[in-house]
Amino acid sequence: MFLPLLTQLPDNGWTYILSTILVSLQVSFTAVGLSTLFSLPVAVLVGFTDFPGKRIVTAVINTGMGFPSVVVGLAVLLVISNSGPLGTLDLVFTPQAMIASQFILATPVIMSISLSAVESVEQSVRDAAFAMGGTDVDVGIVVIREARYGIITAILAGFGRAISEVGSILIVGGNIVFSDGQSYTRTLTTAITVEARQGHYEIGFVLGVILLVLVFGVNGLGSWVRSKGRGERSA
Amino acid sequence: MTLTAKGVSIGYGDERVLEDVTIGVETGEILTLVGPSGTGKTTLLRLLSMFQRPDSGTVAWKDTDVWELSAEERLGVRRQSSMVFQEPSLFNAPVYENVMYGQRVRKSWRERIRERVVGFIDDESMSDSVQTALETVGMIDKDGQNALSLSGGEAQRVAFGRALAVNPEIMLLDEPSSNLDPRNTAVLEDAMFRAKERGVGVIVATHDMNQARRISDRVGFIYDGELVETGPPAQIFDDPTDRRTKRFVEGELLYDMDDSQTPSTPALE
Repeated sequence: MFLPLLTQLPDNGWTYILSTILVSLQVSFTAVGLSTLFSLPVAVLVGFTDFPGKRIVTAVINTGMGFPSVVVGLAVLLVISNSGPLGTLDLVFTPQAMIASQFILATPVIMSISLSAVESVEQSVRDAAFAMGGTDVDVGIVVIREARYGIITAILAGFGRAISEVGSILIVGGNIVFSDGQSYTRTLTTAITVEARQGHYEIGFVLGVILLVLVFGVNGLGSWVRSKGRGERSA
Repeated sequence: MTLTAKGVSIGYGDERVLEDVTIGVETGEILTLVGPSGTGKTTLLRLLSMFQRPDSGTVAWKDTDVWELSAEERLGVRRQSSMVFQEPSLFNAPVYENVMYGQRVRKSWRERIRERVVGFIDDESMSDSVQTALETVGMIDKDGQNALSLSGGEAQRVAFGRALAVNPEIMLLDEPSSNLDPRNTAVLEDAMFRAKERGVGVIVATHDMNQARRISDRVGFIYDGELVETGPPAQIFDDPTDRRTKRFVEGELLYDMDDSQTPSTPALE
C-alpha cells in the first residue's frame, strides 16, 4: 500500500529511514535493558521485605507510570545542562540523554508490573528454594524465574512506553539529523513529528507504519514466549 | 544427636508458640512429631531448618550452635539437611530441574552458567543422585514433564525426591502426606524408609496417628507449644505416661480428629 510512497523518497531517504530506525531501537532497547536490570532486583526486594514506608514506596512506583514525559525531559535537561550537576558530562542532545529519559519513563512501568508479578509468587516456593540450600540470591532468582511471564509483560509494556515516547527525547535529544540524512538523535517518533509539521506526510506515514510493525513485532515475540510458557504448564 | 533443638522457645507478639522444647534426631532414624494443628510442629521444623532464630534456646548441628556460626558456615550446615512442606511448592520447570535444584545451588556460579548453556544447546544430563531420587519416588518416567502439570500426589513425590537428591543427613517433612490418597501416601512412606536405610535421619510432623505408628522409631507428642512426651510408638500410643498424650490418642481414636474440630482440646486444660 505504501510502496508507491517509498519511490517518492528523497535521495538519501533510505539512509534517513534506516538510521532513524536504528537510533530508535538502540535508544529504546538500551533504556529498557538497563531499566530491567535495575527494576527486577528492586521489585524482588520491595516485594519480599517489610520495611516502614513500603506502601508509600509502592504508591510512588505506581504513580511513576503516569509521569508526563515532557516534565521528565525537562528534569533530565536541567540535570545534564551545563549548569546542572552532570553538566560536565556533556550529554545534552546525545543518544545517552535520550536513554536516560526513556529509562526514567520505562522504569516505573517495568518495576510496577514486575512487582505485582513477583508478589504473586507464593511464599511456599521461596521457602522451598531456601530449604534446598539456596542463598538469598538463589531465592531471588527462583522468584524471578517463577514470575517470568509477568516480567515479560512488564518489559514489553516498558518497551511500548519507551519506543512510542516523543516529548522528553525531543527536549533532551534535540532531534538531530545530519545533512547526509544520517540520524544522530532522531527517532521514529520525533521524525514523524517533524515530517508531519513540514507537510511531508508520505514519509511520515511510512515511518508510522514502520513504528507500528516494530511494536507489533516485539509484542508478538513476547506473546509467543508467554504462550510457550502456558504450553509448558499444561504439557 | 545430629540435629537438636535445646530448650527452644519462640513467640509472635504475646503469643507463645513453642516453650522450652528439647528434641533431637539422629541419622538413620525416623522421628515423628504428633499433635493437633497449630500446636507448634511446623514452627519447630522451621527452627530446625534455620528459617528463623529461636527467641531463646539453641539449635545445634552436631553440638555446634548454628546461630553462633557465620552466615557462610550456617549455609554449609543448612545444606546438610532438606525439607518437604505440606504443599509440594514445586517450581514451574520440568520435574528433573526441580529435583536437581538443590545440587545446582551447591555449585559455583561458573559451573551453573556452564550447565545452563549446555542445557540450552543439548539435553541436560541427570546426576546419579537425581536419578536415584526420581526412582525412589517412582517419578523417573515423568522426568521431563512440567512439575505444575502433575497431580497432587505426584507433585508431593517429586518434592520428596527434590529433598532427597541433595543427599541430606537429615530430612524434615511437614505433614507431607496430609493431602495424599492412600497409594501416594504408601509410596512416600516407602521412600522415607529407603532414605532411612541410606542413613538419613527423618523428622516427620504429622497428625495422622496411624502413619506415626507405622513409620516411627520414636514419637514426640507436642501440645500447646510444649513437648509433652517422647518415646517409641508403642509407649506413646499404647501406654502414654502423660495424661494429655493419653487424651489426645483417645480423642484421635474416638473422633478420628480433624484439626478444625479438636473437640477434646478445652478438656485438656
